[in-house]
Amino acid sequence: MNQTDHDPRRLTDMPTGVPGLDVVLRGGFLSGGVYIVQGSPGAGKTILANQICFHHARHGGRALYTTVLAESHDRLLQHMASLGFVDAGVIPESLRYVSAFRELEEAGLPGLINLLRREVLRQQVSLLVLDGWLAVSDGTPSDVSLRKFVHELQVFTALQGCVVLLLTSNVRRDYRPEYTMVDGLLTLEDVRHLGWRQRELEVLKFRGKSFLRGRHAFRITGEGVRIYPRLEALLPLTPESDVPTSRLSLGIESMDNLLHGGLPTASTTIVVGASGSGKTTLALHFLSCASDAEPGLLFGFFETPRLLMANARTLGLDLAGQVDAGLVELNWHSPTEQILDDIGNQLLDAITRRNVKRLAVDGLDGLVEAAGPPDRVSRFFAAISNECRARGVTMLLTAEAANFVGPTVTLPIEGISAIVDNLILMRFVETRARLHRVMSVLKLRGSNFDRSLREFEITDHGIDVLEALADPDVAENAPDIRIGASPANSPVRRRQNREPG
Amino acid sequence: MRTVLVVDDEFGVPELLEFVLQEEGYRVVTAANGRQGLQRLAEDPRPDLVLLDYMMPVLNGPGMLHAMREGAYKFIPVVFMSSLDEDAVRRAAEQEFQAFLRKPFKLTELVGIVRRLLPE
Repeated sequence: MNQTDHDPRRLTDMPTGVPGLDVVLRGGFLSGGVYIVQGSPGAGKTILANQICFHHARHGGRALYTTVLAESHDRLLQHMASLGFVDAGVIPESLRYVSAFRELEEAGLPGLINLLRREVLRQQVSLLVLDGWLAVSDGTPSDVSLRKFVHELQVFTALQGCVVLLLTSNVRRDYRPEYTMVDGLLTLEDVRHLGWRQRELEVLKFRGKSFLRGRHAFRITGEGVRIYPRLEALLPLTPESDVPTSRLSLGIESMDNLLHGGLPTASTTIVVGASGSGKTTLALHFLSCASDAEPGLLFGFFETPRLLMANARTLGLDLAGQVDAGLVELNWHSPTEQILDDIGNQLLDAITRRNVKRLAVDGLDGLVEAAGPPDRVSRFFAAISNECRARGVTMLLTAEAANFVGPTVTLPIEGISAIVDNLILMRFVETRARLHRVMSVLKLRGSNFDRSLREFEITDHGIDVLEALADPDVAENAPDIRIGASPANSPVRRRQNREPG
Repeated sequence: MRTVLVVDDEFGVPELLEFVLQEEGYRVVTAANGRQGLQRLAEDPRPDLVLLDYMMPVLNGPGMLHAMREGAYKFIPVVFMSSLDEDAVRRAAEQEFQAFLRKPFKLTELVGIVRRLLPE
């Protein structure tokens, strides 16, 4: 952005270059705007502002970083030296550091505004950062003089097309008068979530255009700040797709028969069950049908690719061969502290990269544990599910039931039964000192299905669904089940060989 | 030193233009409306150029321009500043003025016009 090219009658976007932030701001800051960036000490304001300055300077703009704090710029740069965005080559030609501490102390706000005007005009600056706004506002005797200062700054920068970032560590909720005057307000916070912390950015105000609302997680890495826009805010509402009529095989003929032909194409299925009941095995069967026309992806959280391939081999499934042939990709993520939107983006990228049509997300509960705020997980999955449906992806999620002993099955995500199209339950029933694996289809959206309780075995050729219960006592010992607390899943009593209703 | 009179009621604008033109080596006096502007014209040293806003309380830009041209200030160059388009301002002003700046304008544009109208 060259200052001499600026047309003050046209508001243009000034990209920040911070990954994710321009998505949140839908293009960047508006030329000539004055924005407050607030956050407690250590929240990342200085790194964020410097990253924007370096990006601006590297792309033809001129930036001025002004501090009103009694601190050395050399020290500031030393602290940031290891960050990937720092490019000493743009200093001082395109990025300058100026201290306004003395000017403010000796001449007050009139001295400060004149210093800023002079420097901006002399250097033809198009991005101005004023670090230490709290010191300016707290040291000002009256709200009137502060408002006067902000207004004078706005009049000037609007004509210059210069974007101004006022950095403040004020995190009080009693907003100051200047907050109503500025063009935008961004807040950075380090939020505690059940014993761990996540950095979050929120745009509270932005004049002149829309932005992505809500809290967006961010990280500070060796490359600087990276923001992960909330996926459910980002993904467009996809138009209602046609009800799928085609079916996709689960890779087990007897299971396809239970579903009256397989899973509906572009639907979302959740397989809930006890640990060791065969959920991952079912996912491997589903992926065994992957082909050039239907590329597969296993997006997992617990079993590593090596372990999955070894397990598949014991089931007679050549997962390693499929991976080698490029028919299936194994994408493993540690279920440790993760950013939900980072995972979501990686999932969507992996789908896009290979035009995936068969997707297995193995270990949904691992994702939930890793994701932080639990209140948004169902909304997040609704967005992912909609996106997959729009892309023609058939998704199979596996999740461990929280309490698989007893009559109630609690789903790992509240409200997910309403989001998914299909629901399959896998569990153990104990009779005569022996555990039996049983499965049942609880829901198949828009289609009839076999509602009988079916016993199955896992052999060296995978899942084998039996025609009838090996032990008639299994039916009597299978407890009545209730799924979660969703009204859509009222108590279901299934009886063997019940006719489809 | 040449003197520029800035007549504008919007808080912050006369102060900014004063700063910018002073940096360019001009003496600047300011007024918040047309009546004050006419008073400044009568002061010494007499301004060599008037930067005149269109919409102002008490006496607006066209009113002040009319008074200037009818009185003793026929030949002082005037630069109109307005967010209206130039044709509308010329029709409303009914008097000759030397340049027009459509608000918001570039400060470099302003400086260029002032330099052209007040050559060294």
